[in-house]
Amino acid sequence: MTPRSHPESASLDSVLEALRERAKELDCLYRVEELLGQHDRPLPELLQEVVRLLPSGWQFPKKCQARIAIDAATYDSAPYLPPACGHAADIIMEGAVIGSVAVSYVQEVPLRGEDCFLEKEHKLIQTVAERISQTLQHRKLRQMRDEWELARKELDNPSSREWMVIVDLIRRTDPLMLNYISRQMLHRLSRIGVAEARNLVRSIDRIGEEDFLEESNSPIQAQDMEKILAVSEAVFKLAAQHLSADDILVSVQKWVQDKRASFLIKAVDNATTTLEDIIEAVALYKAMEDRQVRLSPSAEQWLKVSLIQRFFSDDLEYVGTAKENVEVMDFHGLVQRIIFPAGSGGNLGGKSAGLFLAQSILAHSDEPELEHVKFPKTWYLPVDALTVFLHVNELESINEQKYKDIDQVRLEYPDIVHLLKCSWFPDDIEKGLSAALDDFGDVPLIVRSSSLLEDRVGASFAGKYKSLFLANRGSKEERLRTLLEAIAEVYASLFGPDPIEYRAVCGLQDFNEKMAIMIQEVVGQRVGDYFFPLYSGVAFSNNEFRWSPRIKRKDGLVRMVPGLGTRAVDRVNDDYSVLVSPGAPNLRVNVTPDEVCRYAPKKMDVINLETGRFETIGIDEFLKNHGAQIPVASQIVSACCEGGLLAPAGIHTDFARDHAVVTFEGLIQKTPFIKGIQTILKRLQAKIGRPVDIEFASDGTHLYLLQCRSQSLTDYDASSAIPTDVPDERIIFTAKRFVSNAPIPEITHIVYVDPKGYAGLPRRGQLLDVARAVGMLNRLLPKRQFILMGPGRWGSRGDIKLGVPITYSDIHNTAMLIEIARRKGNHIPELSFGTHFFQDLVESSIHYLPLYPDDDGIHFNREFLRQSPNLLPDLLPAFASLAEVIRVIDVPQSAQGRILKILLNADEVSALGFLARPSGKTEKSAPPLERPIENAPSKDHWRWRLRMAEQIAARLNPVRFGVKALYLFGSTSNASARPNSDINLLVHFAGTDPQRADLTAWLQGWSHSLAEINYLRTGHAADELLDVQWITDDDVALQRGYAAKISAVTDPARPLPLNGKDE
Amino acid sequence: MSDNAYNLFEMAQAQFDQVADVLELEDGVRQLLRQPLREYQFLVPVRMDDGSVQVFNGFRVQHNDARGPAKGGLRFHPHENINTVRALAMWMTWKCSVVDIPLGGGKGGVICDPHHLSTHEQEQICRGWVRQMARNVGPFQDVPAPDVMTNGQHMLWMLDEYEAIHGAHAPGFITGKPVGMGGSLGRTEATGYGVAFTLREALSELEIDPASTTASVQGFGNVAQHAIRKYVELRGKVVGVACWNNQDKTSYLFRNPKGIDVDQLVGLADQFGDLDPEKVRQVGCEVLPGEEWLAQEVDILIPAALENQINADTVDRISRQVKIIVEGANGPTTPEADAVLNARGVFLVPDFLANAGGVTCSYFEQVQCNVNFFWEKSEVLERLEAKMTAAFWAVCDLARKRKLSMRDAAYVIAIDRVARAVKSRGWV
Repeated sequence: MTPRSHPESASLDSVLEALRERAKELDCLYRVEELLGQHDRPLPELLQEVVRLLPSGWQFPKKCQARIAIDAATYDSAPYLPPACGHAADIIMEGAVIGSVAVSYVQEVPLRGEDCFLEKEHKLIQTVAERISQTLQHRKLRQMRDEWELARKELDNPSSREWMVIVDLIRRTDPLMLNYISRQMLHRLSRIGVAEARNLVRSIDRIGEEDFLEESNSPIQAQDMEKILAVSEAVFKLAAQHLSADDILVSVQKWVQDKRASFLIKAVDNATTTLEDIIEAVALYKAMEDRQVRLSPSAEQWLKVSLIQRFFSDDLEYVGTAKENVEVMDFHGLVQRIIFPAGSGGNLGGKSAGLFLAQSILAHSDEPELEHVKFPKTWYLPVDALTVFLHVNELESINEQKYKDIDQVRLEYPDIVHLLKCSWFPDDIEKGLSAALDDFGDVPLIVRSSSLLEDRVGASFAGKYKSLFLANRGSKEERLRTLLEAIAEVYASLFGPDPIEYRAVCGLQDFNEKMAIMIQEVVGQRVGDYFFPLYSGVAFSNNEFRWSPRIKRKDGLVRMVPGLGTRAVDRVNDDYSVLVSPGAPNLRVNVTPDEVCRYAPKKMDVINLETGRFETIGIDEFLKNHGAQIPVASQIVSACCEGGLLAPAGIHTDFARDHAVVTFEGLIQKTPFIKGIQTILKRLQAKIGRPVDIEFASDGTHLYLLQCRSQSLTDYDASSAIPTDVPDERIIFTAKRFVSNAPIPEITHIVYVDPKGYAGLPRRGQLLDVARAVGMLNRLLPKRQFILMGPGRWGSRGDIKLGVPITYSDIHNTAMLIEIARRKGNHIPELSFGTHFFQDLVESSIHYLPLYPDDDGIHFNREFLRQSPNLLPDLLPAFASLAEVIRVIDVPQSAQGRILKILLNADEVSALGFLARPSGKTEKSAPPLERPIENAPSKDHWRWRLRMAEQIAARLNPVRFGVKALYLFGSTSNASARPNSDINLLVHFAGTDPQRADLTAWLQGWSHSLAEINYLRTGHAADELLDVQWITDDDVALQRGYAAKISAVTDPARPLPLNGKDE
Repeated sequence: MSDNAYNLFEMAQAQFDQVADVLELEDGVRQLLRQPLREYQFLVPVRMDDGSVQVFNGFRVQHNDARGPAKGGLRFHPHENINTVRALAMWMTWKCSVVDIPLGGGKGGVICDPHHLSTHEQEQICRGWVRQMARNVGPFQDVPAPDVMTNGQHMLWMLDEYEAIHGAHAPGFITGKPVGMGGSLGRTEATGYGVAFTLREALSELEIDPASTTASVQGFGNVAQHAIRKYVELRGKVVGVACWNNQDKTSYLFRNPKGIDVDQLVGLADQFGDLDPEKVRQVGCEVLPGEEWLAQEVDILIPAALENQINADTVDRISRQVKIIVEGANGPTTPEADAVLNARGVFLVPDFLANAGGVTCSYFEQVQCNVNFFWEKSEVLERLEAKMTAAFWAVCDLARKRKLSMRDAAYVIAIDRVARAVKSRGWV
């Protein structure tokens, strides 16, 4: 500080001092002004800041304290101490003192005269007090204005009053509803933390929230409705205070709707509600929807689940998937087309469930590819229509069928069909069907079963029950009669021997199987006398038949045919379907024109509108006569020209002259069809969470989805669990590439063509001999119980070093075709993937697997294959010299009774072939889709056949017929007979031609009779059961042809004692 | 693939060496003819549909072009190998020579499996092959044709690429094209008719009236059908036709001692020649197991289906009545069976003479393309008849004169012609 010794400087000092004080005061005032100018901040906050600021404006800030008091509130600059001296100014509003501003010193300060404050400081405190007064005044005015504005606005807005009107109305008319909305509001308020609301809740509930939290074991008391009603007025007053009018209105409206919608749920949820009420409920929902009234999400969900369970299934997985994808509105379309008896529960069965789900999923997606996807018009009869039908005809006893002996079931089945077809339908159902026919018009129809067991996980009932096509022509009366008969016939199939036996095998005999009916329009066009879809087929998310390593499993598979899809759904032995992998549509199974023609579909299923029958017609003939009339023919066929060239046939195709074959090339290349199928598959798989399989058909314009289910439901596509604890010595091979799913029967024989041995054969003739030997083994070994393992490309042409040059007929009895790719230096040879006869393999369910023994972590038990006893020299003595190359292994003989079990799991891309005890069970021992039941070997099938064969021998007079010996071989002899097996007899004949003719006739008599017996036992219809081979003395001497069987090692022919002759 | 104990090329060379001995060819000629004159091996990079690049191995072997541009097929096969291609190229030289058309022998291909390729990718392979070979092939150098897993479409892609590179039309560059796109009429009939023409001349050599003969045929495909037609025109009687039935996975022999009406049978067959035994029975034929075709009491056997059908096991089942065998198929008779038949004095028209009607028609296609003038079908077939007849007599005369089998004589005459050509040109 500057010393004050100098007089001039002293006077200067005081001036400076005064100026400094002045600056302080002004600064203080300025800052106060600034604070008070902040209109948006709460007043107490501002005053608190002001009071802290004030001491800085006084001469001795450190000793100074300030206090502002307004009404009851006081604000201090610091903890208030007793003042040594002070001054104050009043805060006045509207003429009344409402508080004061006080500034004081807490310690003694030098006095100015008597005053301890400067003149300016008195003015300052006065100014501050005035400013605060003004601020308070201003604030009050503004608040009044705002309130007035608000009030005016609220008057303009109807909601402010509307909720009150609504609540008042409810109070007067609907105490239940009032109770409900009051409770909802109370909970809402207590949730947002309104203390009074919480108290109210407590006062109503005898137990408080704390009790809830403690999870007391005593039951929570129901709240007294009276009490809630009593407080409802208070509740809404609280609401008015804490919530905006809009908010209250919206809440109240939603609760009212929820409450009202709950009638829907109540109706659906209650098992005793009739279907009429449910249909009405759905109609009411539709009405609400039309008025844009929406349910709360939880209520919507509840309603959905109730409907799903009501119409389709309780299955949790199904419900879980369906509720995510179905809208309540989707049921509106459904319920319009249900024909039901009075008191019906409404369950529509498994097939309907799958289709409904798919329809909902696709309807709610917006991909452009799905725009042209449609669903055929469908009417439904729920499961209890059958119950009622049986009841009114007093046929309930028919339900006993499933507990009868299977041959009795089979014997009685035709009568049951007849009986049901002659029975009458209750009036309401007949009327309903009549209405349905009016709705359909005269389009052809298909009557399909939709049973509870169909499409259920674990048991594939696909194709077990009947589906019937109807031309739907003629007078209304005729059409109705035919429809009723068809429904009765489909019903009858529930009591047919096949499904009953299959249910017994699957342990589902006691399941209360029920059948609903779907009546669908057949999608298609009329050409000539025929009606049919231009194309139809099945598609799978997972491709289990990959013909190229470039095709991935998830690329999917389409099997399609012209005409009705029946030929694509089932495997047909005498025909082919066109295969495409939607993910790799350019990689086709058949490449050369020859292949394309050979494997093109040759027949198609149609409905003959003139005869009203379902027919199979030849495509060639049909195209020649009607090709030009087929819409979009250029999408379906290609023309075969002289150069072997194939091009999608356009307008120039002369069907009478050109040879047209079905390729679908135009459809695949030039339309978005494949893309559409792929999108459908992907979409359905994504939503359902599993790979799916679908059936489709097209009328040329739209693509129709006919069925959808999860792909793993079919036996065919199920993955096998691969055990990890199989000891190495029991593993024959493992594979980690290109594995597809398929059930492989238990293998008793392996034909192993050693890659090294084969490569080492010096002469071409020997290579050809290998092929011939394999072909003969194919005929000798038990069908579908042996596998073929060989190097490189089975069916090689040209350079036959690369693989055994067999044709399909040389391998068609194998259970599996395995190609082995051994590394040669750095090179692994390319395998064929069975392309030479791929479609034949598909149609016969022969599975293909490539093995790469040289890959890391792969087992390949060459020792077992090389060192097990080789049956070849005994089976085919003529080829004994090839014993080093071809090894025929009797697995049980070489592995202490074990068989070879092959498990495939495409999900893990893993395959395992190992030695295991035979399961002894009937399961999976035959390729599925060849009707598992019929092929289930059973002790019975061979035993009675053997008895019969012995009977034949016992009655066969060798002298009369010129017979030297009679032998039995094949499945009857080796106890592997299936329901459809022949009885293989070998006649050593040395008689004359007339004797031969005689014997042929004699045996034919037996054959027909046995076929009939077999039909009664198994349902397998055949004309004859005996398969008789004739051999002569020469044959026996040379061991030629079937004579080789007599002393064969595997499955030798066994002699049967003849009449009067003892072998 | 030298580790292959069984090597088609070595077999072809051994066959050549035998004939060279008979012809007493000098060393230089032998050296030249027992190997291909030129071989091309190259890479064909292709941008695949998925955007990746795959590199394929392509090749072309020109065994000999002393008598004219090399001629031979292009094969797409995953396990193609150079020795097979060399052997096939050599056989093409002999085949063109035996029917005396001014063409040499070649063969080529690409290692690929069309089953695992899209159409577009196959097109790229075709075009890529031509880009690599454009300077070394052409109407006057080397003329490719369809073969294993290639067809008219592949030929058109290749032709288009070739013409684009050379900036001019050159339809004579490749054969096997569809009719209307540079293909020749008569192609369908050519091989079968050729078989029948040689049969007719064989009968005349043996001084047998065709009207008094019967025949049994294996196969009912294109070759068999046309051979039968022509033979029936000569008033011969086909009493048995064996063919594969795809549905029953077996073959049947359809027998009718009164003679089989080929048109009736064609009417019953589906597009692959598959015949339904039931239908055939209804028109008066017996149905027997397929292998019975060669055991029939007939004068003539025509194997026109598969290779190795007449072998050591089956040759003894052939009736003593059989005087002539015409090999419509490739390699239907094994060497063992050949020896037996030769000893029995059966007159055998060897495959590469009997079924050379096909390559002769390819030659006609090339000729027509080169002069850009296309003949009527009748003209094609007339010229075919002349070529086949002349070829037959050249072989037959030699066989008679030199006491050779027809097969040996055919090889001798074919190789002799090529040997003369290389010598005349002063190559050796």
